[in-house]
Amino acid sequence: MNSTKDLGEQLAKVCLETASRDNATYADIRLVNTVIETVSMINENPASEESNDLGAGIRVLYQNTGWGFASTDEVDPENIRETTRKALSLARGAAKIGSKITLAKEPTHVASWESPRKKDSLTVPTETKFEVLKDATGRMKAEGVVARRGQIISTKIEKYFANSEGSRIYQDIAQTGAQIVVAAKGPSGIQRRSEQQYALEGYELIDGMDLPGKAPAMTKEVLELTRAQGLKEGRSDVIISADQLGLQVHESCGHPIELDRVLGYEANFAGRSFLTPDQLGKLQYGSEHVNIVMDATLAHGQGLGTFAYDDEGVESQRKYAIRKGKFVGYLMSRGTSQSVGEPRSNGCMRADTYQLPIIRMTNVSLEPGDWDYDELIEDTKDGILMVANYGWSIDQKRYNFQFNCEKGYRIKNGSLEGMIMGPGYSGITPEFWNACDAVCNEKSWTLWGTPNCGKGQPQQVMGTGHGASPSRFRNIRVFGAS
Amino acid sequence: MSQSLQKQIPLTERGHRVFDMVRKFARGAQEIEISLISTTGEYLRFGNNELGQSQFTKNRTLSVRLSSGKKQARTTTGRLEESFIQKAVEKAVSQLKTSPEDPDYLPMLEQQSYQTVSRYHTRTVEESAETKAGYVGRAIERARDNKLLASGVLGTSVDEGLIINTSGLESHYRGTGGYFSLTMDADNGNQTGYALSTFADITELDARKVSETALERAKLNKAQTEVQPGKFDVVIDPHAWSEMLFFFIVSASAGYSPDFGTRQYKEGRSYLSGRIGEKIMGENVILEDDVYHPLQMGPPFDGEGYPKSKLTLVENGELRSLASSRISAHRYQDAKATGHELPLPNPLGETPTNLVIRGKGPTKTTEDLVEELDKGLLLTRLWYIREVEPRTKTLTGMTRDGTFLVENGEIKRPVKNLRFNQSLLELFNNIEKFTEPVRNTSFTGAAVLEPGVLAKDFNFTSVSPF
Repeated sequence: MNSTKDLGEQLAKVCLETASRDNATYADIRLVNTVIETVSMINENPASEESNDLGAGIRVLYQNTGWGFASTDEVDPENIRETTRKALSLARGAAKIGSKITLAKEPTHVASWESPRKKDSLTVPTETKFEVLKDATGRMKAEGVVARRGQIISTKIEKYFANSEGSRIYQDIAQTGAQIVVAAKGPSGIQRRSEQQYALEGYELIDGMDLPGKAPAMTKEVLELTRAQGLKEGRSDVIISADQLGLQVHESCGHPIELDRVLGYEANFAGRSFLTPDQLGKLQYGSEHVNIVMDATLAHGQGLGTFAYDDEGVESQRKYAIRKGKFVGYLMSRGTSQSVGEPRSNGCMRADTYQLPIIRMTNVSLEPGDWDYDELIEDTKDGILMVANYGWSIDQKRYNFQFNCEKGYRIKNGSLEGMIMGPGYSGITPEFWNACDAVCNEKSWTLWGTPNCGKGQPQQVMGTGHGASPSRFRNIRVFGAS
Repeated sequence: MSQSLQKQIPLTERGHRVFDMVRKFARGAQEIEISLISTTGEYLRFGNNELGQSQFTKNRTLSVRLSSGKKQARTTTGRLEESFIQKAVEKAVSQLKTSPEDPDYLPMLEQQSYQTVSRYHTRTVEESAETKAGYVGRAIERARDNKLLASGVLGTSVDEGLIINTSGLESHYRGTGGYFSLTMDADNGNQTGYALSTFADITELDARKVSETALERAKLNKAQTEVQPGKFDVVIDPHAWSEMLFFFIVSASAGYSPDFGTRQYKEGRSYLSGRIGEKIMGENVILEDDVYHPLQMGPPFDGEGYPKSKLTLVENGELRSLASSRISAHRYQDAKATGHELPLPNPLGETPTNLVIRGKGPTKTTEDLVEELDKGLLLTRLWYIREVEPRTKTLTGMTRDGTFLVENGEIKRPVKNLRFNQSLLELFNNIEKFTEPVRNTSFTGAAVLEPGVLAKDFNFTSVSPF
């Protein structure tokens, strides 16, 4: 017997009956049980924390015109009834200043789903995780090193969803992630090298990352960076590593295809988008080599944007956002898809326990191309290889971006030469993606996890996935940290 | 509906009941600390002239810290029933056995006395959703009348926290807060204006002024033309740059680590390491951490219950002092605790939490600063700011929602958005005039009081197409 599922069924009955009795057009409830363990080391100082949270979020539509949402951590029938009424009260208020909302049709789903994992990360002893981090950070000790950091995060989310249309969905999701960072101080100030990955996996992710094995090379690199040359401002061909390109996809494609921001609902904070509906099917967003999918299905990989059903009960799907460079699709919800002529949502509504679901990225990924990585380097006469993100910034319509990386290499006549400290590149989104002339194949393609995407007011943090392989872009503006 | 309609046992009473339960289950622990935090919020969120995303949130968190010798463990739960508390405590007990020793562990604090701060305003708690919806409704009406779209949020919150430990400490805080953030725009954001107001007491909120400011800026910010990137003298609105100031006290270079703490400074992790006594900015800038400032928010104690002291971090442009804690005072002979510890265990180090930035001498209004600008730009909002280079604190980011060319003290025309790459230390060196500081809420939720400024030579590097 599963207690979150059983409790969810019991509370859903109370919520949906209350909403129906008070004439709600539609209602749904999510009961979410989250356990997160964080184990950290910074230099010689350890810290660990395990948190367990159980709460419910209730969403109500009144007279097809106003949404109301209320959440509570007191998950008993009486409080759920009260919380449903609070959501209804807000929905009635919203209905006075709203316009008609039509929910796209979605089949009724009654399902249970457990994400795959080989080794439950929460049952791996905390002591084992400390040993891995102590080993990794211990191997970073060297003259000039000022910070040695490591962190392992293990998450289990049980989610029960029910709506007034009859869907009843239970999902058990396991996510694991880790990051190690080494910082050193030298003539060029403090430099950093880091490695991280977050995925829909168990502890096998940490075993596979071999954090202690990576630490010595990272330490050598960061010490080299403190003495490395910067990069002069100018224009150059660039090859962008898969991890950095994953973030580029996130910022310059994933966000502008969120249909809620396109329609103006995020204008005050996250902003709007240059990808307006009149561009759909017409704009040549990138070159013919650029194919970007929105894919929450397991077939795409075990990313932070992988699930079976989204937070309004829509089944996970795979759709193209960019096909052969052309802009063809949005991340959508049941309340927005019909505004761009789509009869069904593609399942992108996500939320944390206590907040209203909003449109979020799932796995938004650049599909692999044809090039072997070594061949791509060999084919590049004069360029810069950009590796590992340091900083990222983009305007509110997602045109003007700037990324800074931890390290880079000069490419001369098909070979990597000296290391570059803090290289950066910038551009305008469609110009940049149209300058892409080569994408590496599946051998160098990785589905990266971004655990900290912020959106909404109050801000919600969500994990997203971004597959990418190293790719080349011609004649890009580059510069370096001074 | 208002936030006061909840049936609640007072947090202090509930906290003692919970503490008794924790003690019962914490077998083998030498010291016990609980921290109980309750947060409720009501947010009227609107977009496209519709009140589409209203929400009420309520949650409580119990965090338990146990120690034995130099080992410590922390677990957190959102459930306050005995069986869940037992589970959380037993998990901490189990972790305690296998955790590595923390070389910096210190016995828990005994009872402290605190300077009183009064930050709980019943009017904020009791204000009805209907009244607040009225503020939003009038903003939407003004936008509609002017063929604009209003979007934003009017939020109110109540935060309450309690720390109790086995050494006799009991620290309690209760406060209210809120903000009204408003954008009015048209033509897919090609015409746009923004305004923000924050408050602890909702009667401080002048919703009409927020609406009129956003409207006035949106009316002005239409049909922008490009200016060539380069160095411009600028007037920065006091509400425009809180995100920029966040990066003054936090660095990406050591993995997002606070910079103004003694431990980071001494370990060499901070970009300020070795610079105490050095002039790091203009002599007219004063930087303080002052939880007792009347506009500040939050409790008068830190994450382990130690009383917060007021700090002068920078004076006459010189780096004078750092945030500190009991751990630093124990580690370093020249450090004394100032009440800036995060909840323990905390390997990150200390940080200021109540920054107050102000200028020396008489202040002006933003309008005065514009009048005193011969040629330059008025910046009403800076956005998506990240560190480029830590040594000089060079940051990059964008302007948004209204950037205006000013000539001879008058706004001449709106210009397209610009990207900047600007050293914050250099900016602090180039400030000529200040407004009074206002309360901003940065994206981390910490309160920063910051002034508007007139500064020379702000470095813009590229332009956006809108």
